[in-house]
Amino acid sequence: MSPTEAGTHGRIRLIEPACTSCMLCVRECPVWCISLDSHTEPDPDVAPGARVRLVNVLDRFVIDWNLCMYCGICVEECPFDALEWDADHPAAAGAPEGLRHGIPDLA
Amino acid sequence: MTDVAAQDWHDAVVAARAEGYDWFDWLGCVDEIGVSDELRVVLSLRRLDDPGRPELLLQCRVPRPEPRLASVRDVFAGAAWHEREAAEELGVEFVGGDPRPLLLDGAGTTPLRKDEVLAGRTAEPWPGAKEPGEGDAGAGTTGAASPSRRRMVPPGVPAPEVWGDRDPAAPPPDPAEVAASVSGGRVRRRGR
Repeated sequence: MSPTEAGTHGRIRLIEPACTSCMLCVRECPVWCISLDSHTEPDPDVAPGARVRLVNVLDRFVIDWNLCMYCGICVEECPFDALEWDADHPAAAGAPEGLRHGIPDLA
Repeated sequence: MTDVAAQDWHDAVVAARAEGYDWFDWLGCVDEIGVSDELRVVLSLRRLDDPGRPELLLQCRVPRPEPRLASVRDVFAGAAWHEREAAEELGVEFVGGDPRPLLLDGAGTTPLRKDEVLAGRTAEPWPGAKEPGEGDAGAGTTGAASPSRRRMVPPGVPAPEVWGDRDPAAPPPDPAEVAASVSGGRVRRRGR
């Protein structure tokens, strides 16, 4: 049973390889707690001689747990299932900066 | 849902109580902007002798510019709290109601009216303004997004020509226009 089915809304995990930096979660978040930076790179997986294709590469993904209200809209909206509920809770921090979790903290 | 005229509101509630709907469930208020220039006050009553029976819903529409309605707190004391909430959040005046504010310090705002703009959001940069593949440098400077591309507008922030950065000589913005532009700007709508 997944944590969502068990009814736990502990924290939101980011599955970094699945994220395409499409910005949907950032734009749908009602409290503006997600921010994301990405850049484009030529796709290394195209056949030789084929036209160069650009892919988005995620540089920075931050959820600000100071602002997050655990509504789960980002989890529902993500078309690539790169966000999911987790039973753990974000670790407590002594200052607001400590609750802005980047890619390693969200893994 | 039974429609009641504003002048009959108090009598209708007294009559409903006499009919046996003697348990006050809730009283709510809805901003009907975009549908009509009215606020809708809804009262839900139940019967204690038949709790499984569907609730009796009474509704009354009052004009948005001057929403005035008789208080029913002398019929159901518990309605006073709900009326204070509607008065504070949507600006309905309940004649004979409890005038004390509930949460706010009476700054004259009506936060739950749909044309109320979240002013803080117009000043704060929206993280969703960036396009996919765009870095920290911000709007249109990295070359990832085409400069001609239409930029996304954050939800809850009307267009500057409607609210905020508008001609000071122009008449005040139409509330319906403000409310409509506030709900716009979402990336996409899901079919429900």
